[in-house]
Amino acid sequence: MKDKNNTDYCDEKKFSDFFLNHSKLLHNFIYYKCGNFDMANDLVQDSFLKFWNNCHKIIPGKAKAFLFTIANNLFLNEYSKTKVVLNFKSTLPKNITNESPEFILEEKEFGVKLQKAIASLTEAQRIAFLMNRIDGKKYKEIAEILGISVKAVEKRIHNALVSLRNEIENI
Amino acid sequence: MKQNYFLAKWLNKEITEAELLKHISDDELRSYKKIIAATSLLETPIYNVEEALLKLKIAHKNSKVRKLNIIPQFYKVAAVLALLLTSYYFISNKNTSYSTQLAEKINFELPDNSKVNLNADSEITFKSKNWENKRELNLKGEAYFSVKKGSKFTVNTNLGSVSVLGTHFNVLARDAYFEVFCYEGLVSVHYKNETIKVPAGSSFKVLNSKPEFSENITETNPSWLQNNSSFKSVPYKYVIKEIERQYNIEVTYDKSYADTLFTGTFTHTNLNTALKAICIPLNFNFTIFSENKVSIKVQ
Repeated sequence: MKDKNNTDYCDEKKFSDFFLNHSKLLHNFIYYKCGNFDMANDLVQDSFLKFWNNCHKIIPGKAKAFLFTIANNLFLNEYSKTKVVLNFKSTLPKNITNESPEFILEEKEFGVKLQKAIASLTEAQRIAFLMNRIDGKKYKEIAEILGISVKAVEKRIHNALVSLRNEIENI
Repeated sequence: MKQNYFLAKWLNKEITEAELLKHISDDELRSYKKIIAATSLLETPIYNVEEALLKLKIAHKNSKVRKLNIIPQFYKVAAVLALLLTSYYFISNKNTSYSTQLAEKINFELPDNSKVNLNADSEITFKSKNWENKRELNLKGEAYFSVKKGSKFTVNTNLGSVSVLGTHFNVLARDAYFEVFCYEGLVSVHYKNETIKVPAGSSFKVLNSKPEFSENITETNPSWLQNNSSFKSVPYKYVIKEIERQYNIEVTYDKSYADTLFTGTFTHTNLNTALKAICIPLNFNFTIFSENKVSIKVQ
């Protein structure tokens, strides 16, 4: 990874690059946790601020994990008990031609069911699953960020899929 | 037994659909496919990275400023302490002062319970801190002191100073007129590098730099305490000034009589009687023009 060579995160240019590369993912990470967009904004800022203020202490190659740990701790300290209400924008694929009203309604219904089901996942499952589905992160990268094994990531994603299907079919 | 997360493997394209179907039914596969398809269309709310970075930089700057503020915090504390100390210094060293207006007399006690009567248009200032060890005050005008026994008690005036150990005495210091009456005990008067002992029943008077010592005073306290002003061979101008002070009036008179010596007494309670008292002996007439204007003329 490119930040392995950049040890000096106190440098404004390097820090800015780091921010531009990772703030979206961090933002999503917090959003998956709490489902609150503004809270995610605040936490991203607070986390990066803390990261910047501790820029001398960062071990090369561990910057990303460090950032997510900061965010996780801040989240636990301040916001952990908020109710999760996720609100995703769902874009319908443009290449679908048979857009009968029934189909659109069905898709809409399914979308609502899916969002409810995602919200009812455990936090750990949701983060791993959505990082893969929305952010397109490989299992290895998710494992790195969350500080867990790839096997654990697989377990979370597997269980996420099982419980999503159960939820959707039960609604 | 090693757990097999076949769904995750299949999602990651590590196993084929055919392999997956060993674990799940066709129906289940359809459901999962639908979920996967739907989730791949999900988007999180739009997050503006550039804007967030800008905000962060501002916040970082502010947080840096806050860090620097730690030093002024120290200075703030130091400043408050300095202010408290200096104000304590000033308060503790502040001069206590008593003063009277025209036609006003007051009496008060000093920190050691010594009594002071202050005649009209006079002022006393002293430091109340450490009073027991250093009994010293400044006087402008006229005052009667009834001093408790103790350490040396000093009255400083423009014309000279008076020190006692404990007694009753009157000090007057106005313009070039300096007078000390001793009613009890012994008083030392310091006048122009000379020390004059004034025993009870005596007075020391300086008029226009001419010292004069007189004895055989029969009064036990100054007449002004009984609302009278007594004069013994005092220039007329001082008599006029005293009546002006006691009644808060303006007196016009023939200045050629300013240094004429006057002996007599006037009361502080009735202006008419008082004016008669200072006019008749010198064959003067007086006219009261308005509330505070009086004219004295030769008959």
